[in-house]
Amino acid sequence: MPDAGNPTSLDKATILGIVRDQLAEILEKSPEEIPEDISFSDLGADSLALIELVEALEENLATYAAGFHIDDEDLEGLLSVRDAVDYVAAKLQVS
Amino acid sequence: MGGDFAPGEIILGARQAVDELGLSVILVGVPELMGDPLGLDVVACTEVIAMDDDPAASVRKKKDSSLVRAAELVRDGKASAMVSAGNTGATMASALLRMGRLPGVVRPCIATPIPNPGRTPMVMVDAGANAECTPEMLVQFAQMASTFVKAHFGVSSPSVGLLSIGEESTKGTPLVKDTHKLLAELRELNFVGNVEGRDLVPSPVDVIVTDGFTGNVALKTLEGALKFIFATILKVIETNDETRAAGSVLLEYLLPVAGKMTPENQGGAMLLGLDGICVISHGSSNALAIKNALRVASEMDAAGVVEKLRLTIRPDQV
Repeated sequence: MPDAGNPTSLDKATILGIVRDQLAEILEKSPEEIPEDISFSDLGADSLALIELVEALEENLATYAAGFHIDDEDLEGLLSVRDAVDYVAAKLQVS
Repeated sequence: MGGDFAPGEIILGARQAVDELGLSVILVGVPELMGDPLGLDVVACTEVIAMDDDPAASVRKKKDSSLVRAAELVRDGKASAMVSAGNTGATMASALLRMGRLPGVVRPCIATPIPNPGRTPMVMVDAGANAECTPEMLVQFAQMASTFVKAHFGVSSPSVGLLSIGEESTKGTPLVKDTHKLLAELRELNFVGNVEGRDLVPSPVDVIVTDGFTGNVALKTLEGALKFIFATILKVIETNDETRAAGSVLLEYLLPVAGKMTPENQGGAMLLGLDGICVISHGSSNALAIKNALRVASEMDAAGVVEKLRLTIRPDQV
């Protein structure tokens, strides 16, 4: 169980779990239906769903890094679950 | 506070809703742009989402806009509903991101009542929220619209039709055919089969379900055709003294019909599937349209539409 408020306690597997859980809730799917390498378009996530994901991630990850924010201009480069995980990991300097 | 005739007509309509309907209305907007609020309560904000702003992005960027603040009032229990004549996409995005979806709802949809002479209005879903849909989404839209018609119009078992290019179940796109199969299996819905474009007005059913792209095209086509017909009739009446004399008799009967068909009298479209009430009024709303939209929002609140939708949609059905 990672420590809330401590980004160093996060690893990529945990971030993947968070991204999948949030996406699952937004798209009404189970997390198991969301593989790491799937694109958002193949998941049926439209632009509004992605904004929902971004807002959910910001809220969820703020417990690890206060004020965690995803820049709007970076959104265009996030095309898949893996992109989102890599982006968050890089932003939080998680290896 | 948006719309082609904002802020004047919006504020006037709100004032009329207070005076004539006894509603409590809060205006949300930039005070410097609003002018005289006619004695109504104002929640001030500093930003405006323009009609041509990107819906989802603008909600992220303009957190102190009237749309976002209005949705937050509903989320925080300070208002029972929000009404907007502004950017439709941004209204939906604000409501979705701030109020959230009801559990189990894949995507909210726009339900638009269309006048149906001699019976309660026919409700078309989706009228434009989701351009691309799956059969499961259309089934959910049908369930939500059916619940809405029961709660709002008091129809005990609303009949549901699926918009297609023929009445036979084999007609239509793969989406339509797959949706037909799913709807036919749902015992709790009064699904009567496919309907065609000519069944929009007058409609033999209480609900017509379709994807948001088709629904929006159908709705705008209908609106344009009706405007054309009424304009043509008025033009013919002005042809000569004889037609003007005939028109003076006929108009007494024609104008009420035209009035029933105009968007101003309908009260706008409803977003179904949110954890709150949001009514989207026509972009060209005048005071009458805003008053009616506020009336409809109030009626939805009184009828407990959101709670009834919550009971209708359960995650295990998706």
